[in-house]
Amino acid sequence: MAWHHSLHPLKLFIGLGCFIAALSIFILLGFLIQSSLPFWQAFGITSLWGKEWYPYESLYGFLPAIVGTIWALIIAMLIAVPCGVSAAIVSSEILSPAWRNMARIGMEVLAGIPSVVYGLIGLWVLLPFLQHSLDLLTGHNLLASGIILSLMILPTIMVMSQDALQAVSAEQRESAMNLGLNENQCLYRVLLPQAWSGIRSGMLLALGRALGETMAVMLVVGSMDRLPQPFYNILEPAQTLTSRIGREMGEAAFGSLHFSALMGCGLILAIIAMALSLFAYQKQATS
Amino acid sequence: MKHVLFAASLLFALPLQAAENISAVGSTTVLPVISQAATVFHAAHPDVNILVSGGGSGVGVAAMIQGTAQLGMASRDISPEENVKLKGKIENIVIASDAVAVVVSKAVYLSGIHALSLAHIADIYRGKIRNWKELGGADSRILVIDKEASRGTRHVFAKAVLGSAHARAAGASIISGSNNEEQSIVSRSNHAIGMLSNAWLNDQVRGVDVIVDGKAIAPTIEHVRDGSYPIARSLHVLLPKNASKNTRDFVHFLLSHDGQAIVKKVGYLPVR
Repeated sequence: MAWHHSLHPLKLFIGLGCFIAALSIFILLGFLIQSSLPFWQAFGITSLWGKEWYPYESLYGFLPAIVGTIWALIIAMLIAVPCGVSAAIVSSEILSPAWRNMARIGMEVLAGIPSVVYGLIGLWVLLPFLQHSLDLLTGHNLLASGIILSLMILPTIMVMSQDALQAVSAEQRESAMNLGLNENQCLYRVLLPQAWSGIRSGMLLALGRALGETMAVMLVVGSMDRLPQPFYNILEPAQTLTSRIGREMGEAAFGSLHFSALMGCGLILAIIAMALSLFAYQKQATS
Repeated sequence: MKHVLFAASLLFALPLQAAENISAVGSTTVLPVISQAATVFHAAHPDVNILVSGGGSGVGVAAMIQGTAQLGMASRDISPEENVKLKGKIENIVIASDAVAVVVSKAVYLSGIHALSLAHIADIYRGKIRNWKELGGADSRILVIDKEASRGTRHVFAKAVLGSAHARAAGASIISGSNNEEQSIVSRSNHAIGMLSNAWLNDQVRGVDVIVDGKAIAPTIEHVRDGSYPIARSLHVLLPKNASKNTRDFVHFLLSHDGQAIVKKVGYLPVR
């Protein structure tokens, strides 16, 4: 209680840290809104579904990059979630503790590699492979960026899922075994439901990283500001919001409409990330 | 305690006072000249560090407008809009000239595409010609490489071929950035066409002749010198008027006999 009422240095420190963390969210959102406001005022919300992006002709259509971003995310998650969760199940439930630690260290190393390295691996290994095996004009496309992203988010999903599975208490496992459940039943009826909230947090974190990743995507996506034709064609060069910001930010003069439009891309990314988080927590509350 | 603090502050202040950092930003075409010259200049002036980074001519000019670098590099002329924003803050100094070569993948070159007219190149970039067969090459789609709008090479090429620096290229299949990126895309493809400074040509990345009035002109320094190659340009450094003495000395060095020898070694045409 004394801790609660006195102005203990630790309490001050914690309070300050918490304040800065909370403030950073508002500063970031405020900055994005404020710096993209001139653009929204000049062109309005209709730019969101505009199909053409030619800054020099004052055409700012966001749709191709939004569609590209969503496709890259979907592909990355489709690959990384099954692989990451399976790897977590194997390492948590089947491997011996020594091997489990090895797998974990391996994943943590993967998570620490800078994104530009993933991009270069994509450029030199993945693109030629895709180009030759699928007989494409170029390997630069949404599939390539999805695959590279899936590699980058795999460690997050695996490590978080493994933690969640390990956190299921021994009592639960023993009760399940005592009830005569076999391994499969134990996994589907006890372990996965119990660990689900941890796994979902891992997926959300991974989604956030995939959404914001710039360098690796920029190197492999082709940066072509054009809607996929037809919309499910993931084998043609395309554009994502992050790669557009990365390609154009250096040139856009601070304070110009072009700059403001690129900040708009950033704001859309932030809104997508928030919407996904809210959606996930809504699901958690109702289930 | 006071003495310790004083000593510590000295420790941090000394290296800052001794060395001057000059950052040069912009065109990746001008970059090799500046970075090689910087090495030579640093050997003679160990107290001056010149940090060179790319981004494209547009980035170089933007850095001059915002005052975020000590030296700008540009491989194109400054546009009227940019001039308004620069408000006469810089001197624009030409250090070399080069040719913007129309490059194709080795396989395309070997299939018989050795020369193209400006009209053909324009048709390829506008999407009217989509297969090398139509130009006498092999039966394969054309991988048309366009560049980021901020790139000087894009400005010069689009102006000469499509009529204006920011003209749309509806036939483009992919966007590249720096010269290195463009070079690597062309060399890894068997169907590509792109635009690169003549100094970036190699066995995998071949420059085609450009047909002017029925005559095929190769993208060589000789044809830049005699003015016959149609997509030639000058390479600039942008020097702020309030630049330090060391920065000015460096620009003088670029224009000196030794500096111009580096220009020639990189593969561009010296200005003197």
